[in-house]
Amino acid sequence: MTELIFQAIYSGLLQGGSYALIALGLALVFGTMKVINLAHGELVLLAAYIAYAVESAFNVSPIVAIPVALVVVCISALLVYLLVDRIKKDRELNSLILTYGIGVMITNAILLIWKADIRSTKSAWLQDAVVLGPFYSMRSELGFFILSLVLMGLLWWWLSKSWYGRAVRAVASNRDAAKLMGINPRTTEIVSFVVAGILAAFAGVALYSYGVIQPPLGHALTVKAFIITVLAGVGSIPGVLAGALLLGVVEALTVTLLSSALQEIAGMGLFLLVLFVMPNGLFGTAARRG
Amino acid sequence: MKFFGTLKSLKVTPVRNMLEVRNLRAGYGAINVLWDVSLAIAPGKLTAIIGPNGAGKTTLLRAIIGLTPVTQGDILDEGVSILNQPTWDRASHGLALIPEGRMIFRDMSVEENLMLGAYAKQNRATMQGNLERAYAMFPLLLARRSQMAGSLSGGEAQMLMMGRGLMSSPRILLVDEPSLGLAPLIVQEMFATLAKLKAEGRTIVLVEQNTQGAVKIADHVYLMQGGKVVLSQPANEVNMEKLHQQYFAR
Ligand SMILES: Nc1ncnc2c1ncn2[C@@H]1O[C@H](COP(=O)(O)OP(=O)(O)O)[C@@H](O)[C@H]1O
Ligand SMILES: [Mg+2]
Repeated sequence: MTELIFQAIYSGLLQGGSYALIALGLALVFGTMKVINLAHGELVLLAAYIAYAVESAFNVSPIVAIPVALVVVCISALLVYLLVDRIKKDRELNSLILTYGIGVMITNAILLIWKADIRSTKSAWLQDAVVLGPFYSMRSELGFFILSLVLMGLLWWWLSKSWYGRAVRAVASNRDAAKLMGINPRTTEIVSFVVAGILAAFAGVALYSYGVIQPPLGHALTVKAFIITVLAGVGSIPGVLAGALLLGVVEALTVTLLSSALQEIAGMGLFLLVLFVMPNGLFGTAARRG
Repeated sequence: MKFFGTLKSLKVTPVRNMLEVRNLRAGYGAINVLWDVSLAIAPGKLTAIIGPNGAGKTTLLRAIIGLTPVTQGDILDEGVSILNQPTWDRASHGLALIPEGRMIFRDMSVEENLMLGAYAKQNRATMQGNLERAYAMFPLLLARRSQMAGSLSGGEAQMLMMGRGLMSSPRILLVDEPSLGLAPLIVQEMFATLAKLKAEGRTIVLVEQNTQGAVKIADHVYLMQGGKVVLSQPANEVNMEKLHQQYFAR
């Protein structure tokens, strides 16, 4: 039994890597534009289906699809930006309705093109077992987990050391003050959508490489990303990573100990628990907000 | 053929006013605050704008930098209208506002806040030198360089905004009530700093409610009341007693 629990924790942690990439994209866009992109999970799912399409059309590894997914998802993210940018009144509320609608449209487009069947990779190489001491995982799980850590390291470097990255943080922190520094907030909004798209593309290909995908997954991913950002409380990379790992572990434990039918409920339960017990998130302090 | 000579001689018309505000009206949506405000800011001089709370001084500076929309009138920088430039372009072209309140990047370090002051491309090469100058001017910031800006006291935040504004080596410095809420000793320091900047030949527009301190270091004084300029006088002709009478007159 304890072996099962430890194995579940390990699998949950690996799953958390992709969750973190998804949640960071959501947080980045929210930071600069104060818009919650409810179509974000659908962008991730789009990347996953592109991996499926490339794999089945050319009989290659889904990893080969990463460049295609990057291009398609970044263009789609920019289209979402252009639409949200057209909203002139009550953007915070109206953007929720708009992005929700875009998400529904993406899901339906996926249904039309790729049907409702459950899909998963045929690559045996990706599904090969990798044993690390007492822990077991698929090669793709461990590989994409490491890749997600590398991407987060790069994101951290970009946000703290590059001028564009600093501008993104400045706009998120104080929009008017950022303008006084000579920063055009619209540029940083576009940049944050593109970076969110890059992270979403990697996460989507990862999900397809070690799991199963189907059209309703996009919506579930948006909800997870939202839960993680609230769990983290602050938009910091370590905070979001910790929130993502926690969600991954709680989901995996629920599936192992209770039932896979309860997986989504478990995330919600965790979310409500943190909201009631620590309303500022796991890492947010009351003073730092506002 | 002395083409260049002739061209050069055409260009000698001296710029009398660095910055000029003409019949400016500005406000917040339906509420108009500034009523036909006109000012001329001479280069290399310190112009003080004084006036009671709510006179519209902050609104004026925000309109000059483009944060508050203008409904009528014009703003000229070296004779060229900047009215349709967005704030970030005005800031990249030599205007710097050192704002009122804590307009800092709270969740970024003190040093990152300063570095952002040099964001415009042409200022990045001189960033290191300006950073050292800012630390020399405000040694407290050096001690707090890796601390989050949100943890600074009011006075320290004021110094940070001043240092940050200087990171772009601005031609025109717009300073909004740097003495607000500071301890008297720090207020004196702040005025000394402004006097030093003026001695460096910078063009400064200083908004203050501390009339005494402002007039002392100013070259020219404007008094604002109810969104209008009610007095414009060279600083050495200002009679403090009369000024105070006018200041409190309704
Ligand atoms: N954001 C705002 N929205 C509406 N009215 C404002 C706003 N900011 C300032 N005002 C009003 O504009 C007037 C001038 O304010 P302000 O420019 O801040 O004056 P001062 O800086 O001289 O104290 C005041 O009556 C104030 O209530
Ligand atoms: Mg004011």
